[in-house]
Amino acid sequence: MLLLFPSLTRCWLRLVPFLFLLCTLCVNYAQADSAHEDAARSFFADKRSAHTNNWAVLVCASRYWFNYRHMANALGMYRTVKRLGIPDSNIILMLPDDMACNARNSFPGSVYAASGRRLDLYGDNIEVDYRGYEVTVENFIRLLTGRMDNAVPRSKRLLTDARSNVFVYMTGHGGNEFLKFQDNEEISAFDIADAFEQMWQKKRYNELFFMIDTCQANTMYSKIYSPNILATGSSELDESSLSHENDNDIGVAVIDSYTHHVLQFMEGINKTSHASMQDFFNTYDYDKIRSHAGVRDDLFKRALSDTRVTNFFGGVAQVEILGPSPLDDVSDPTEQGSMSANRPAEAVLGDDSVAARAGSLSSPTHASGASPKDEYLGTENLWDDEGHEDEPAPARWGVLRAWTGVALLGALLGSVAVR
Amino acid sequence: MDYHYVLPVVVAGRLLISYSLHSDALLHNHQLSSPPTSYSRLQEGVYLFKNAINPYSGGLFHHSPLLLSLFSTVIPLSSAISPALWTLCDTLGAHCMVSIWRARSKLESSRRDGLIAALYLLNPYILLSSLALSTSTFENALYLLSLSFASQGSSSQALLCLAILTHLSLPSALLAAPIVMLLISGPESYLASPKAFTGDARKATRLCAEYLVYALSLTMISTVISDGWTWVPKTWGASLLLPDLTPNPGLWWYFFTEMFDHFRPFFLVVFSAHLVIYVAPLCIKFQHDPLYVTFLLQGILATFKPYPTLADPGLFLSTIALFPETYPYLRHPIVTVLLHVHASLLLPLFHHLWLGQGSGNANFFYASTLVFGMANGAALIDCAWAGLRIAFGEKVPGHEVVQK
Repeated sequence: MLLLFPSLTRCWLRLVPFLFLLCTLCVNYAQADSAHEDAARSFFADKRSAHTNNWAVLVCASRYWFNYRHMANALGMYRTVKRLGIPDSNIILMLPDDMACNARNSFPGSVYAASGRRLDLYGDNIEVDYRGYEVTVENFIRLLTGRMDNAVPRSKRLLTDARSNVFVYMTGHGGNEFLKFQDNEEISAFDIADAFEQMWQKKRYNELFFMIDTCQANTMYSKIYSPNILATGSSELDESSLSHENDNDIGVAVIDSYTHHVLQFMEGINKTSHASMQDFFNTYDYDKIRSHAGVRDDLFKRALSDTRVTNFFGGVAQVEILGPSPLDDVSDPTEQGSMSANRPAEAVLGDDSVAARAGSLSSPTHASGASPKDEYLGTENLWDDEGHEDEPAPARWGVLRAWTGVALLGALLGSVAVR
Repeated sequence: MDYHYVLPVVVAGRLLISYSLHSDALLHNHQLSSPPTSYSRLQEGVYLFKNAINPYSGGLFHHSPLLLSLFSTVIPLSSAISPALWTLCDTLGAHCMVSIWRARSKLESSRRDGLIAALYLLNPYILLSSLALSTSTFENALYLLSLSFASQGSSSQALLCLAILTHLSLPSALLAAPIVMLLISGPESYLASPKAFTGDARKATRLCAEYLVYALSLTMISTVISDGWTWVPKTWGASLLLPDLTPNPGLWWYFFTEMFDHFRPFFLVVFSAHLVIYVAPLCIKFQHDPLYVTFLLQGILATFKPYPTLADPGLFLSTIALFPETYPYLRHPIVTVLLHVHASLLLPLFHHLWLGQGSGNANFFYASTLVFGMANGAALIDCAWAGLRIAFGEKVPGHEVVQK
């Protein structure tokens, strides 16, 4: 056929180089696109968590002086979660808030969670978002689902997104598949399960960790059916959760056993800790907690040994530092190859990133001793103390311009002075 | 008060005060330094410039590129040199005031020289601004230099100083008209015997053109220094567009904090045009004495300019000393003085109450700026009245001069 139509062949032959160019451009573009996607996917790869921000919802559902320990539970958890890096803007604290200034409180304005009263959890630096009679079942469900009146302020909203890890902690008096709110109403396990399902449908969480410290607590998470939820409770069906200790001067129990155990474990955790949820659950001991604490992980996709405690309790984010060249420069194949060599660095919110990088115990492939330039091939190294070659030049130009200006000004002044 | 004794003593005293001050409290005082005159912003701009970052790319630096080049090359900004430099500028200003007085009164030296120098150097508004190292000291010195050269008839030098002053502070461009008139007429006092302004239109045009040439060449130099035109909206634009609403003793900032955005352009035009409308009437009414026009116009600019500091009205008050012939005709000098005392007490008090202690709010400080504006306005009105009243002669018993 080519022989039969020589002119046509010539036309096609002329087109071939253009087609070839087009193909290479398309391939390059596709490679570039997939290069970007690969980079993003490798960042959120399976073993590491896919969350970018952390939220905490801490609920104390009982009021009155004799339920002092429930408020201390919630405040202790609040302190821990704040210490590990979740900011107040990402914490919703729901407290009946009638303990600290209660007429029966011998230490007004203070709430303690341990006998001996060494640590005041109430202090002057807590942000209670729902207090007093605002702690209701309706507000709690509205908070979780996000279905609120337009007038509700931002501080009272759970502004999570699809990449938020949410930690929901509830404490109070409970029973078989219910939790009592403020001695007035109750929320059932079905309500909570449906609220979580609404959250899942609305993409309001990446992973959710539900912790509950009440009597017969494990029944509360038995009805959850949404994916990516890890749940733990303090006691089985027909079992009471016991308080841990009394303070003789306050006169009531100041902390519950289960929460005390959790807080004690958390005291050994800091922002850079790599302790996993499996390690945490392995510390559950009937002799210490005096009830059978349970875990429900069938809905949770990741392995518990790969899930860090700070994925839920802290505000630790994953940060990867890249330079501008690898992702933009598509023509150089060696640059593309270097992307896979980029090791993500663990950065910690609020900490000096240099210190975190220097002292971090990140994945073993990260060669902290090697010169950063070798790691990030072709990327701009932010901590390189050597001066770049082109840096003095712009400064030199500036000084030159300044001197030129001064000289011109002097010339002008001189020419006018002699007039 | 022999000038040759007074000046060194006062200057030495000022140097002593400025070098014994160890706190930065005055540097950040909002009454003494405004965004275009602040020393700390100048330091910041010079630092950025030295590190190859364009200081005009941010919103903080409003000084002229001329100052930028000067302080990044020839004169380093240091705590050892700056107080001496500022005192030198003030001394220069005081010397210029004396030379203006001598030119006006056609005397080689007079008994009032020392008094005039002391009134300038020891005026608390000017002294404190100089201690705060605000660049309004340079503006005052350049203004007085320009007037001094104009009084002596050196037109080029006067216009060059005015051009440099325009680069530091745009509203000063309005002083070109009276200074040109001054160059044509001369500084002698004709307040008591007004005569029509006889000036060569060609000469006036030539002087204006010379001023524009100087201003343009300084613009070119500034562009070279700053490598582009980004400096124009940040320096001159700052006076016209008021981007920075830092509190100052002026009358603009509060008005524009509560201004709705869609009215902003209109009121910026109104406020800027308000400055312009005073030029022609003053030049016409006081055409017999252009130095008096400059004096009154500077007072008006000091009261109504976008970013004044205490140094601007301070200069106005000090230059009243150049016109002793008006003193008998001032109607309410005591009221003016008391208003100024009021304002100078209220301004720092309410500023502290608002921003230091937090028990007041912006309205407190705004009220004190209104009192200050009233004090300046009272001084202006009184001086304008006295300048016109002289022409009517001595008070005849049984008669009174009224304004119909």
